[in-house]
Amino acid sequence: MEQLIEELKKQIIEVLNLEGMKPEDIDENAPLFGEGLGLDSIDALELIVMMEKNYGIKLANASEGREIFKSVRIMAEYIQAHRTK
Amino acid sequence: MKTFIQAISQISLQEPLSDQWFSNPHVPQNIFNESIEPDYKRFLSPMEARRMGKLMKRAITTSLDVLHRSHFENVDAIISGTGLGCIDNTEKFLHAIIDNNEDCLPPTAFMQSTHNTISSQIALYLKCHGYNSTYSHRGTSFESSLLDAFVQMKVGDIHSALVGGHDEMTPDYFNMLGKLGYWKKDPFTIDSLKKADTIGSISGSCSLALLLTDSPNQDALCQLNDIELMYAPSITEIRSRMENMLIKNGIALGEIDAVVMGLNGDIENDAVYHQISQNCFPNIPVVWYKHVFGESYSASSFGAYTASMCLKNNLIPPHLLYNSVARSTNISHVLVYNHFQNKDHSLMLLSKI
Repeated sequence: MEQLIEELKKQIIEVLNLEGMKPEDIDENAPLFGEGLGLDSIDALELIVMMEKNYGIKLANASEGREIFKSVRIMAEYIQAHRTK
Repeated sequence: MKTFIQAISQISLQEPLSDQWFSNPHVPQNIFNESIEPDYKRFLSPMEARRMGKLMKRAITTSLDVLHRSHFENVDAIISGTGLGCIDNTEKFLHAIIDNNEDCLPPTAFMQSTHNTISSQIALYLKCHGYNSTYSHRGTSFESSLLDAFVQMKVGDIHSALVGGHDEMTPDYFNMLGKLGYWKKDPFTIDSLKKADTIGSISGSCSLALLLTDSPNQDALCQLNDIELMYAPSITEIRSRMENMLIKNGIALGEIDAVVMGLNGDIENDAVYHQISQNCFPNIPVVWYKHVFGESYSASSFGAYTASMCLKNNLIPPHLLYNSVARSTNISHVLVYNHFQNKDHSLMLLSKI
């Protein structure tokens, strides 16, 4: 799990182009949206695309993302449970 | 209503956000040339800039810089010209379509791949709710934008406008244009460009923001008297349109102190300018600028910039002088003439304030 969290942090930085940010700057328990990293709906779309491309997870309902993207840790748990690649 | 160019800001092959090129230019050494990037963190926070491609960062930075130089907080209109739009993002999106088998497409590259992203993003950033438009007319995109702002100012619909010319050159697009003979095949010098005995030019990426206003302050660069666009005119028609423009503005041909032309070292491109020069301006200094800024769809905006700088400084620096006609000691009126592939032609008449 911890390895997946680290991998996810790196992917988030790369996909969302969070210039100047390092994996250790992201608190895996902090909210990704609103407070915390302060991401928005376009970032949510980028994360949905990233999950499909890298882990084979296709979200049938975009509103599922609201729960899944609560934090990096929750995201990692969801990926571990549902990944197809 | 008179219209004035209050200030201009640029990012190109030259020192960014600076007029240093006018006295001390970087001489391009390569056929494919990248822009010199400024420190964008001075203008945009990392979170603001993270979704922007290079062209978007350049467009917003030059816009912010020209507003700062002009002491304007906002404008009535934002009008941009771009031949290719954010082509880098377009390419990223197209590559993603191929690489991901038309699935899993990233939204950011798509959103920022359209041509009108430029004007709209500037407006969002400045919170400008006024007129907003983008012209994409290949080599006369900038002039189309300037004409729109000029006409709206003449009829009193707007009193200030941010007019831009923004284009980037990516390696892929450069290679494609190279196959069409756009670029020199062999190493070049400024003298060989001037000689123009082969096809092709040198590339540039350029972003220019210009503030047009009817209420200039003391730092304004010059007055924009007139601007015209023509499609596929004959030499006789060009001459006639030039003469009419001068008559309309009460300026005699002999009062033109310099003609700025888009000479770029391509034998076919430059032949048109030589014809115009011989037929219309045999004894007037010809100024060129593409040997300093390179060729791109928005390069003609740098013709207006060059003319503005000559008028403001009352000077034609030797490195910009194309022919050997003696320069006037008092630069009062400058005509800018550009053409794109001998199809789209433009005239801009600028005067000292």
